[in-house]
Amino acid sequence: MTTSRETPASVGELCAILRRCDGDGTKVTVVGGNTLRGMGFPPTGEELVLETSALKRIVSYSSADLTVAVQGGCTLKSLASRLKRDGQFVPFDAPKPGEATVGGTLAAGWLGPRRHRYGRPRDLIVGSSIVLADGTLAHAGGMVVKNVAGYDMSRLYVGSFGTLGVLVQANLKTIPLAQAARAFLAPLPEGTRSRAFAQVRTLAVEPSAALWIDGFEKEVPGEPGAEGRLFILLESSEALLERATRDLRSAIGRAGVPETRIIDARARDMLDGIIDAYISTLADRSVTYRVASPPDRSEACALGARDLVRRFALDADTIADIMNGDVVVRASRLETRDLSLKLQVLDDALHQAQPRARIIAGDHPSRGAFNVWGNDPPAIGRMRALKARFDPNAVLNPNRFIGGI
Amino acid sequence: MNASLAQRLADAVGPENVKTAPEDLAVYSFDAYSEGKLPAAVVIPSGTREVSAVVKIARELGEPVIARGAGTGLCGGAISVDGGGVVISFARMHRLLELDTANRRARVQPGLVNLQLSQQVASSRLFYAPDPASQRSSTIGGNIATNAGGPHCLSYGTTVNHVLALEVVDENGDVFTTDVDDAGYDLTAVLVGSEGTLGVVTSAWVRLLRSPESTRVWLAAFADIESASAAVSAIIGAGIIPTALEMMDAVIVKAVEAAFHAGYPTDAAAVLLIENAGFEDEMDAYEAALREITRKEGSLSWRAARTAAERDALWAGRKGAVGALGRVAPNYYTQDVTVPRSVLPKALRAVEVAASENDLVVGNVFHAGDGNLHPLLVYDKRDRRQVGAVLSTGDAILRAAIELGGTISGEHGIGYEKREAMTRVYSTEDLATMARVRDVFDPR
Repeated sequence: MTTSRETPASVGELCAILRRCDGDGTKVTVVGGNTLRGMGFPPTGEELVLETSALKRIVSYSSADLTVAVQGGCTLKSLASRLKRDGQFVPFDAPKPGEATVGGTLAAGWLGPRRHRYGRPRDLIVGSSIVLADGTLAHAGGMVVKNVAGYDMSRLYVGSFGTLGVLVQANLKTIPLAQAARAFLAPLPEGTRSRAFAQVRTLAVEPSAALWIDGFEKEVPGEPGAEGRLFILLESSEALLERATRDLRSAIGRAGVPETRIIDARARDMLDGIIDAYISTLADRSVTYRVASPPDRSEACALGARDLVRRFALDADTIADIMNGDVVVRASRLETRDLSLKLQVLDDALHQAQPRARIIAGDHPSRGAFNVWGNDPPAIGRMRALKARFDPNAVLNPNRFIGGI
Repeated sequence: MNASLAQRLADAVGPENVKTAPEDLAVYSFDAYSEGKLPAAVVIPSGTREVSAVVKIARELGEPVIARGAGTGLCGGAISVDGGGVVISFARMHRLLELDTANRRARVQPGLVNLQLSQQVASSRLFYAPDPASQRSSTIGGNIATNAGGPHCLSYGTTVNHVLALEVVDENGDVFTTDVDDAGYDLTAVLVGSEGTLGVVTSAWVRLLRSPESTRVWLAAFADIESASAAVSAIIGAGIIPTALEMMDAVIVKAVEAAFHAGYPTDAAAVLLIENAGFEDEMDAYEAALREITRKEGSLSWRAARTAAERDALWAGRKGAVGALGRVAPNYYTQDVTVPRSVLPKALRAVEVAASENDLVVGNVFHAGDGNLHPLLVYDKRDRRQVGAVLSTGDAILRAAIELGGTISGEHGIGYEKREAMTRVYSTEDLATMARVRDVFDPR
């Protein structure tokens, strides 16, 4: 079977391509920046790769209205640079922003470490244009920040993995950048980790991001401690920064952590670097899982996942998001002998402990046989029915989403 | 009245929890604005299992199901429009089921009153952020159905941003659950704001926020609506998002002062009520910045509430604004539209023109920071001319909002009142796409 590629230059062209594919049953894989290709089941039997990269315009931006309309193929970086000129941003917090697209990031339902503060991407979308499998162009919402006219279709498309339609335009809320940003990086000596987790959670001025990093030494620079490293990003007004810093330093001190490096210049870039690590792979020798847990269980969840990986004689690199609770763990091994088998056994064991664990990165060839989305959610029947109603001929990203959708 | 319906409902939830007498049904036939017809029955189930049983019975007998919270809605979403149907009242399902303070979330039944949730978690220094004006009586379930907003949505977001998981009874009476952390489609997002058309919510996990360390409230007065609107744009443009940014015009200010003596300047054409919640350390800087911006936009005066009592007094005026209009005329109609913030002055002018062309008095009290207008048309419903004028003014306001790039409802909902207006903002394809969702949840 041959696979062709199309890069439509206009929404109209994209509609025409999908109409044609729906008519003759051509299976379509939708591609943005391809940065999250490690998510979902790998494409099988794709006949057309549909690239959104030519639909990359910022359609309208009104900083006074705190809204921006952007085409799906626009990269996160080019959107961010435009918004930054007006002192604003959209908190995608997704890896590789120079390649990742708005449409792809939304479709993948990417969740970043600042969402407890700024909201999930689904909380930022106020309108959308989507091309359905049959080529119909449908709009939802608008360019206003409060809108209850009709079902919230735009939010439904976020996280739908391109299986309901192709997101060609997203209307998003923008947020003013905080005046000040300051990052902290501390190696954690023996016996301090648990206290550090607890102390961070009690801070009155909540950090924008608080991550425990164990491993990922190539990806995240800085001295590793005996119990990993703590990364904190504070974002606040200038007036609050000193107090927030003081509170944080004494909290970390109470946890028994002697040294903290303060990074003022490019503090946010440092967070971006760590977010890149979420999906960094050892080519075909690693698989990375994301596990959701309540914030107060994030340490236990991270240690549980890490120790499980090690039990199967695999190397573990772990990040725990202390504010949101989710945990990222990468299982890898340089020695490829028996790797498939080990990863398969790990996949089973991890899902026994964490039924909702999902794979977010890793090009291991047997990934397709793993439980990549975690166990089916209770409403899976209704989700299948939605897919059938939106894409009856199963043209869009077939068999890549949960439950065979 | 279908005897077998009444009997079967009584068997399911107990005869004392089924109402079928016309005098009992009457109170369920209207909401805070619209008047519908009598439903066939009202049932008051005690839990999910009974809701499920009720839906099954209604389905078998071909009766539609109408979920109803406190009936404070403004669009007719919780009433029987054509008569008949089974109204499910959540008056007995009003409990806080679980409070998880460590993770700042709570599981609640749909009948729990919005404000009571905040009051019940206050001792843990938490609160529930969405605060519609009806929060003293409206329920979390009703808020979920309409994706309710409120003055504090400017910084906290609307109801959909605060719902984490749902338990829902579907069209067959079967129970299913959704969770924003589940893989797959975000069904929670579609269910919130679906006005009860996709299922009946029987419990919800909601987010709670930490009570702020410090809260300040200010009042800035302006000589005209334009400069007040310009100040709103300038505040947002300066990167300041207060927790609330509300505007009231002269009609409202006068009515409020007469009723509450809140200390509003009655010589102003518009006032801005600004609240910021955060930390004491930054409040002086915030205040200085806000004061400077409003001064530049020509404010007449600036008042800061220094005590909790003063804060409450300023808010009491805003929250009582609609009620205070009762002094102006016996009835009022609230329109609800949202426009991009930057066209607020144009939108307000259009409202004024529409009202004066129809010879009506209009008061504006609204969520300026969100661009969410609530023109209040005061009238006397015994006067046929005025009733007609209200309808045509309301319609002209809708038209203006759409022309300015806005939408036909910011937070009150569509219900049956604005059903027809949907075609003015959405194409046939857009609506057909929504209908696909409805087909899946409620194929009948």
